[in-house]
Amino acid sequence: MHRVLLFDSATWLVWLAPFVGVLAAGLTKRRDPAIEGDRVLRHDNAAIIEHWTHGIGTVVLLVSGIALGVWFLPALVGSGEPVGNMMDVHFGAVVVFLFGTFYYGANTLLAKKRLKEHLPTKDAVEFTKRHYGLLLGFKRFTMPPERKYFESEKMAYLLAVASTSVIILTGFLKIAAHAFNMPAAVMSVATPAHDIATVAMLAFFLAHVFFAAVLPMSWPVLRSMFTGYVDLDYAKHEHAGWLAELGYEEPEKTQLAEKTAA
Amino acid sequence: MVDKNTNPAEPTASADQKSTLSRRQFLTGFGGVGVGIVLGGSLFQGFLMPDEVIAIPASNGYLLVDSKKCQGCNTCMMACSLTHHGVQSLSLSRIQMVQDPFAKFPDDRSVVQCRQCPSPSCVEACPTNAMHIDKKSGVRTVDSAKCVGCQACVNACPFDTTRAGWNFEEKHAQKCDLCLDTPFMDADGGPGGTQACVSVCPVGAITFTKEIPLQADKGYDVNLRDEGWAALGFATDDEGKVGPKAAPASAH
Repeated sequence: MHRVLLFDSATWLVWLAPFVGVLAAGLTKRRDPAIEGDRVLRHDNAAIIEHWTHGIGTVVLLVSGIALGVWFLPALVGSGEPVGNMMDVHFGAVVVFLFGTFYYGANTLLAKKRLKEHLPTKDAVEFTKRHYGLLLGFKRFTMPPERKYFESEKMAYLLAVASTSVIILTGFLKIAAHAFNMPAAVMSVATPAHDIATVAMLAFFLAHVFFAAVLPMSWPVLRSMFTGYVDLDYAKHEHAGWLAELGYEEPEKTQLAEKTAA
Repeated sequence: MVDKNTNPAEPTASADQKSTLSRRQFLTGFGGVGVGIVLGGSLFQGFLMPDEVIAIPASNGYLLVDSKKCQGCNTCMMACSLTHHGVQSLSLSRIQMVQDPFAKFPDDRSVVQCRQCPSPSCVEACPTNAMHIDKKSGVRTVDSAKCVGCQACVNACPFDTTRAGWNFEEKHAQKCDLCLDTPFMDADGGPGGTQACVSVCPVGAITFTKEIPLQADKGYDVNLRDEGWAALGFATDDEGKVGPKAAPASAH
C-alpha cells in the first residue's frame, strides 16, 4: 500500500484554515497602540499571533519548499520517503501560514488604518537614505521622524504582499489539483509562478530577519513582537513621528503650556 | 499622553463605527459559513459519497525484452533520452539497463522497461492525475505540467527497479510512453508507430507487441535469440543447450 500524503488525506484543512482566520479576526477585539507610562504598546496580542503564525509558516514553507527543489535549484531531498516527509511538513506549514495570513488580511479589512500604516509615503526614499546613512555612519544625518514602521520596511512590505499573494493563489491551484482534474495549461503557469514568488519571498525574508532580528538596533522591536511593548525612550529616538501620532508631548513642554495657561 | 484604560480601537458611537461593525459582522459571518461549508463538505464526502468506480483500459502496446540477448551497449537509453529530451543522458532515459557485476553472462544484465500494467499502481497513486492513461492509446504516461513532484508514482511502482522515473532536471515524474510524446524524433511514436529503443537496438533485444503479455517476469522477458544470434556462436535457448544450427529462422 502506497503512502498517502497529507495533501490528499487532509486537504480539507487547507480550505478550512483561511475561513478560521477570517472568523477569528471577526471575533477578535483589537487594541490600538498607546503610551502606557514609560512604555508604548506597539503590538497587541492579535498582531503577535498574526506575525508569528505567518512568519513561522513562511520559514517552514521556505525550508521544505526549497528542500523539495524550487525553480531551477536542485532538490535537497532524495527520492522516496524523504520526499513524502517533506511534503507533509510543507502541508503543516501551509495550514499555519494560511491561518496567519488570512487572520491578518481580515483584521486589516476591519481597520484600514492598519494597512495604511504599512504603506510607503512620499518620504520613503528620503527617510530610508537618512535612516541607513545614520545607521551605517557614512553621512551626518539626523534620525528622521519615522512613524510606527520605517519607510524602508514599508517598501519591503509591498514585496511581501506581492509574493504572499502569488504564493497563495498559485498554492491554492496546486492544492486544487489534488481534488479536481486541473487543466495542464493552468498548472504549467501556476508551478513556475509559485517557485518564482518563493524566491522573492526568500529575498524579503532574509532581509527582514537581518534588519529585524540580527541588527542590535532592532532588538527592542523584536522583543516587542513577544511582549507587545517598546520603551518610551526607544520610541522617542526611533519613531518620533509615531509618538506624535499617539499624542505624545515632552513633559517640559506640557508643564510650560500648563503654566502659561495658568 | 493616552490613558491606558481607553482604547482608540474601540471608538464611541459614530457613523464610522457603524460601518466598521457592519464589516465585522460580515467577515465573522463569512468565516463562520466558510468553516461550516468546509467541515460539512468534508463529512459528506467522507461518509456519504459512494466509492468511485473506475474502468481501466488496457494499453494498445507493450515492450518485450530479452535480457540475455542484451549486450549492455546503452544505445536504447541514449535513444530514449535523445528522442524525448533532445539530449543523450542515461539518467533521463525511461528504459534502463541494469548490470550485475557478480553475475555471469548472459545473466549479468537485465533490461528494465515499463510494463504498461493492466492495473497501474503509479496511476492509482498519483494525487493530481498527472500520471494518467492516455485515452486514445491506453498508454500509461505523465502530464508533466500537472506533476507536483511528490514521487508517489515512483514509490508505488511494484517493480525493482521502479519503472516510474524522476526527471531530476525538470523535477517531474516520467516513464515510458512507448514514444507517444517524442518531440525529437521524426517518425510518429506510440503504439501505432515507432519506438526508439526498438528501432536502435543493434542486436534486436527489444521488441514491441500489441498482445497483453503474461503478467509475470517471464511474460515481459522473452527469447528473441534468432539465427543472427546463433550466427555469432551463442546458444539460442535459456539453458544454453540449443546450438547455432538448431536456431529458429526468426524470433524477432
